[in-house]
Amino acid sequence: MNGEGLLFLFGVVASAVLLFAMVFFIIMFSDLECDYINPIDLCNKLNQFVFPEMAGHAFLTLLLLLNGSWWAFLLNAPLLAYHIQKVAKQRHMYDATEIFRTAPENKRECFMKLAFYLLSFFYYLYRMIVALLADD
Amino acid sequence: MPQLTQQFSQTSLAGSPAGAGSYYGSQGSLAAPQSLHQHVNLLSGPQTIDFEASTSVIEKTLPSSRSASQSPTSNCAPVWKRSTINSVPTTQQVLNKSRIPFGLLVKPYRQLLPGEEEVPVINAPQVVRCRRCRTYINPWVTFIEQGHRWKCNLCFLTNDVPSFFDWNPDTRQNVDRMQRPELTHAVVEFVAPQEYMVRPPQPVVMLFLIDVSFNAIQSGMVAAASKAILSSLQSIPNTEDRTKIAIITFDSNLQFYNLSSVLNEPQMLVMSDHADPFLPQPYDLLVSLTESMSQVQSLLGKLPEMFKHNTDPGHCLGTGLTAARKLISPIGGKIIVLSNSLPNTGEGSLKMREDVSLLGTNKETTLLHPQTAFYKNLAVTCSPSQVSVDMFLFSNDYADIATLNGCAKFTAGATYYYKAFNAKRPEDSVKFTTELSHFLGRALGLEAVLRIRASRGVKMTAFHGNFFLRSTDLLSLPNVSTDNAYAVECQLTETIVSPLVCFQTAVLHTSSNGERRIRVLTLALNVTTSIADVFTSADQVAIASLLAKKGVDRTLTSKIEDARDAIQHKLIDILGAYKQSMTSSGQAGQLLTPANLRLLPLLCLGLLKMNAFRDTATIPSDLRSYWMALLYVFPADMIAMAIHPQFYALHTVLDADAQPPMAKDALGRLPMPKQLNLSSERLDRQGVFLLDNGVELFLWVGSAVPPATVHALFDRPSVDQVQVGKASLSPTSAQTPPLGRVVRDLIAQIRADRMRQMTLWPHLYIVREDGDPSLKTWFLSHLVEDRYEKMPSYPQFLNQIREGLAKYSSG
Repeated sequence: MNGEGLLFLFGVVASAVLLFAMVFFIIMFSDLECDYINPIDLCNKLNQFVFPEMAGHAFLTLLLLLNGSWWAFLLNAPLLAYHIQKVAKQRHMYDATEIFRTAPENKRECFMKLAFYLLSFFYYLYRMIVALLADD
Repeated sequence: MPQLTQQFSQTSLAGSPAGAGSYYGSQGSLAAPQSLHQHVNLLSGPQTIDFEASTSVIEKTLPSSRSASQSPTSNCAPVWKRSTINSVPTTQQVLNKSRIPFGLLVKPYRQLLPGEEEVPVINAPQVVRCRRCRTYINPWVTFIEQGHRWKCNLCFLTNDVPSFFDWNPDTRQNVDRMQRPELTHAVVEFVAPQEYMVRPPQPVVMLFLIDVSFNAIQSGMVAAASKAILSSLQSIPNTEDRTKIAIITFDSNLQFYNLSSVLNEPQMLVMSDHADPFLPQPYDLLVSLTESMSQVQSLLGKLPEMFKHNTDPGHCLGTGLTAARKLISPIGGKIIVLSNSLPNTGEGSLKMREDVSLLGTNKETTLLHPQTAFYKNLAVTCSPSQVSVDMFLFSNDYADIATLNGCAKFTAGATYYYKAFNAKRPEDSVKFTTELSHFLGRALGLEAVLRIRASRGVKMTAFHGNFFLRSTDLLSLPNVSTDNAYAVECQLTETIVSPLVCFQTAVLHTSSNGERRIRVLTLALNVTTSIADVFTSADQVAIASLLAKKGVDRTLTSKIEDARDAIQHKLIDILGAYKQSMTSSGQAGQLLTPANLRLLPLLCLGLLKMNAFRDTATIPSDLRSYWMALLYVFPADMIAMAIHPQFYALHTVLDADAQPPMAKDALGRLPMPKQLNLSSERLDRQGVFLLDNGVELFLWVGSAVPPATVHALFDRPSVDQVQVGKASLSPTSAQTPPLGRVVRDLIAQIRADRMRQMTLWPHLYIVREDGDPSLKTWFLSHLVEDRYEKMPSYPQFLNQIREGLAKYSSG
């Protein structure tokens, strides 16, 4: 297996993990709406995954850049920029006092990221297979 | 009707700004009150200032005789709960078309005014509730199947009527269920049985966190506070001797006090770890008030003396709050913070960020947002352990209310602000001691949750006020203050098929006597299909109050400019919607409103001109934040006063033809004089005027006031010798002339009422026509109908509105 194959294999695994993280976030927000969890617990739980999610995505994007996979990098750049912008404005953490106001928005954001990770999952899978075939 | 049309045809002329002079001149006397279902052309002259008329609308749209018991107290009085519209349309489309924001203002726990009926307490074998939606039985349910079952008025499920409704097992006699308070009163209190408790009801816990740093000692705050607390110890609610108390003082360190009843003298324990605040000992810091009374008294008596020479400028409020929370969080309770400067040591230190060059610019909003999330996060951790924080802030310069208010805001507390406090000035110390004593002595609810239920099809979308929102419709209130009001925004999610829409607010709380209670308020509103009914049943004061609260919210989440624009746009929207659906094209040049909304533009203008929202570079950010904090918790009647101050002529109250005559009623209360329009044209060089904005009182003295009046009011021979600024009138003596006596009584009555409404003791400022110009400008800023700084006069504002309405065509 060549470098590119390995990279996209990692991409497939990483996007699958991020995908599951988003599913988890969405489930938690739905729980909040159904009153199964209180906002303080929700924020404490979700906030510990905010940085790992961003770091995971940023690391993957960096690897794509280093490998020179321009298309894959460009695909990920907007989300990376969005994450950086959120941290810069100190809006990346969930706030228990605002959560009911922002929950629908947060949920929509999670759905969009979910769709994005799903798309990247299949794209990386395709690129991995292409790389493996090229290797043969 | 011919007269009316004639009036309309005249008025299109009066629209130009040049006509502003004649606006007051031609219509010297105030217009007669208007009846419902009649347009009012606002351009025709000033409107009668009469807010109360609109509150009787509810009785007109939905007579209490339609309730199950037909009792006159079946529906909530507006002081408890009022809706912006008293006839709810069947669909959201009609509501949207009317553009009126649909919301409620609720004040579930309040101090009663003299003459008001006590809230009935029900101690029944069982709290009767709907099986499905958990609504409490109320006057608006319907009895079916020969009265054996009742139909819930919120979800329409039928439930069984318990037997004790008709049969008293103790006396073995039939009873009339229609006499039961839960069926005759809209506001009742149930004694809650065991299943409403997750733990035994908590006792009252009060922790005083007192700043003893250099500034606090210098201003005399520590001495004044110790004295006030000492004298109110006996009035703190203390049923069955359960009340607990703790005192922590702080400068750059924390000082705890061992108040154990076995000690002769309280012991001081100093803690200086800011990184990880801990309690120096696990017991005897929080003690029973009754058992340790002498230790507490001795400590409070010595406190000012102990720190008299303290020169430590350090201020570790953040550490203090963290430690205080640790101390009382096993039980819950109240933390009362008395702080005289900006925290500068340890966590939660704040920067002095006030910058006058930012005021009035688009960067101003940054000063209104908290500079650190520390205090908000602390509040979030306080809320689950039932700890509430009240802030008494004294400051010579910058207090950063925007940041510190976060503590009170999310724990259902309140912020009290004493600018440039100096205990040597008698007015300052009277205000502070009166408010603190009242604060400590008033009844309070503990470990409470508030839930509002509504008829099917109505959804609550947003809440405003001091609380922590624990789930989509559950407000967590560690303490229920008698001052705070809450606002709710509503939406219709489906077509309303029932003839009534009901809102039920329930506050489950522990009263200060250790009983678990549920206060239930039920408001029923009429349902209509016609948009005309929506307009004619709208409540202008409630609408303005809701707009004010939304404005505060908008400022804190976005920008103050957006908040101002939103208020003005909403007003234009509402009047435009009225123009579109209710007026004909012949009336296009006029500015028409329904009679019940005729003061809405004036209230909105007042809102745009008040300290919280005025577009100016002269309001310090602390003052803005303070006013915003007040608006966010004020009930509707206080908001009306804050945005449209009450203005009275005092020199004529004793004239033979004065209306109403100044005679005390059965309760010993004086009637308030007739309210004047807020315009400087009402001022008279020979007159004395009183202006009340809810928080301050102004006594305006003309330059040519007759010496007799000056003598009666100020005990001085002539106007030039009247002291201006913050002042108090000399106490009534046997020699005081009748006018002086009435005025003093009126001011005392206003202050007494205000203490009951809001725990606010208004300062009195004397403003002389020929006195200090800055004081005069401040006074004039309250005259809403006049031009002030960049803000238009009322006639100019109405013209702006009329121009804004050009894009709406009549129906």
